[in-house]
Amino acid sequence: MARDIARSTSPPRWRLLVARQELVILALLVVVSAGLSLLTGNFFAATNLLNLARNVSWFAVAAFGVGMVILIGGIDLSSGAVMALAGLVSAMLLQSGLPIWLAVPVGLLSGALVGLCNGVLVGIFNTPPFIVTLGMMGLVRGLTFGISGGRPVRDLPLAFRALGQDDIWVGPLLVPLPLLTMIVVALLVALMLRSTVLGRYIYTLGRDERALQVAGVRTERIKVVVYTFSGLLAACGGIIMTAWLGVAAPTAAADYELDIIAAAVIGGTSLFGGEGSVFGVVLGALLMQVVRTGMVLLGFPTYLQVGAIGMMIMLVVLIDNFRRRGLSR
Amino acid sequence: MNRLWTLGILVIVLLAACGPVAGSGRPKITIAWVHKSLGNPVFDLGSQGAQAKARELSASGPYDVELITAGPVSADAVEQARVIGDLIARQVSGIAVSCNDPTACVDPINRAVAAGIPVMTWDSDAPDSRRFTYLAIDNYQAGWEAARLLVDAIGPQGKVAMLTGVPGALNLEERARGFRDGLAAYPDVALVATVFSNEDISRGVQGVEEVMQAHSDLRGWFFVGMWPLFADRGSMPLWEAATQAGTLKTVALDTLPVELNLLRDGYLTALIGQKYWGWGYDSVQIVYDRIVHGTSYPPFIDTGLDIVTANNVDAMIRSWETNDFQTPLPPP
Repeated sequence: MARDIARSTSPPRWRLLVARQELVILALLVVVSAGLSLLTGNFFAATNLLNLARNVSWFAVAAFGVGMVILIGGIDLSSGAVMALAGLVSAMLLQSGLPIWLAVPVGLLSGALVGLCNGVLVGIFNTPPFIVTLGMMGLVRGLTFGISGGRPVRDLPLAFRALGQDDIWVGPLLVPLPLLTMIVVALLVALMLRSTVLGRYIYTLGRDERALQVAGVRTERIKVVVYTFSGLLAACGGIIMTAWLGVAAPTAAADYELDIIAAAVIGGTSLFGGEGSVFGVVLGALLMQVVRTGMVLLGFPTYLQVGAIGMMIMLVVLIDNFRRRGLSR
Repeated sequence: MNRLWTLGILVIVLLAACGPVAGSGRPKITIAWVHKSLGNPVFDLGSQGAQAKARELSASGPYDVELITAGPVSADAVEQARVIGDLIARQVSGIAVSCNDPTACVDPINRAVAAGIPVMTWDSDAPDSRRFTYLAIDNYQAGWEAARLLVDAIGPQGKVAMLTGVPGALNLEERARGFRDGLAAYPDVALVATVFSNEDISRGVQGVEEVMQAHSDLRGWFFVGMWPLFADRGSMPLWEAATQAGTLKTVALDTLPVELNLLRDGYLTALIGQKYWGWGYDSVQIVYDRIVHGTSYPPFIDTGLDIVTANNVDAMIRSWETNDFQTPLPPP
């Protein structure tokens, strides 16, 4: 019964991979990139593309989890703090002499644990996710200061930094390792959303929680799982970021939760739940980074750059609104 | 009965422990040294300087000088105001504070002064408050020196760029203004980009690499703060490659061990340092003189700058290792 409902209300498969907003963003991305390459001449330089890929990948990985939370109609404000915490936990364990294969999983686990707490409070105790994750953001940020004494952790082993800095030959292409990690994680998450019962429940939960409950699905469990995933993926992004920078700071990734939410929304994830895709989140993150890099390449007035990003977010959401209205007519 | 005995012994031991202090008969002065945030190595150093001065004053003068180091955990103006409120309630004798926000600091400082507690600022000022003096570097001068050092290194022509923190931060804007004015004397040196790090390591790293991408013929960088330098080698491949090729020179603010090592290894050309130790050591002396002798001071006391180049970097590294910041630095 539950399976049937999930199937009947889930969108057609092609939509999960490339929904319409994704196409709009993809077109926008192509236009902006083409314009930048015409105007600057070095946008499509290999170094710039590698740089872009490196900057986007860890950010996108963290955004996948938050995107899932938004899919079920929730919100996760603790992702930036979790990124800092996971990076710090891994870095401190590495400094105390633990091998990478132990330090990295424990860092991931710390993020998953925070996510689990969020999930239990939201799912089981029915607390509004905005408040829960806002509180968690403060708590986790405090924890990063507490465990580090406020000091950044440096001098991390070269093998760990390779996770964020190395490029690997894939056939004839030199691909940054973080980008490969992002692709693997994206495929796994997309597969989960697309081809598993849990994935269909997640989409349905965002649109019609009652329907699932009537069908006997324990929706609170789905929430616990999704928030845990969000913590885990934020941790993953945070650890890649730490490896790339070679330093774990308790102040790292401050305010990134808002950029992450913006990337998900730009990529077509509806804040009302039930709509969005992994591909869209990647596009949203990419578009934000391309615009940011583009402004530097073009020599856009520095003091106005912050405002330009904000304007782009509003513009994209506005376009999405018109598109929807056009469709429903 | 047993418990009573234990309690009695405990009380006697405690009284004995307190005895010498309580009974020394010397008047006590309590000076509070308030920093912006915990865990910043430059504030740790300042705090050690403050403690050293308090010990010296206790040993040489008629007063027991007690030092309280206090401040918010993160750089939060509201929390700092609360801390100052607590210090007023404790009736400390004087306060030296580095303000997180020039405006948010005004009310707590004025309340302290109204309660008869003299207050001075160091590092970061609240000019509209009733503090009796402000001890810091001349930020404009620091930016101006940076321009001079950078032009010395690259010659009187070429493209340069600047990385700063948050738009609107008073001390950073002053440094940027000094840098621009310093460059004005060299019409063939062009400031082609200014980027913000938002005081965030990864944003700083990204900004540097983006500018390197946009201007492959860049000759010089001025880092108004050291944000991207916290990141380890390998995170800024374009910057590193140009530096190692010798075509790019970088001048940065501050003289933290991380930066000193980079300078020693040839990644940085010059550093412009603040007197972190003096933030504590000198400000405690100033507050003490104000309380004891009623000394008056000008509204601004210039600490001067520590300019570090390859010529004197080893001496500065030694200062950090031995915690001796009173021996003057050899010339740059």
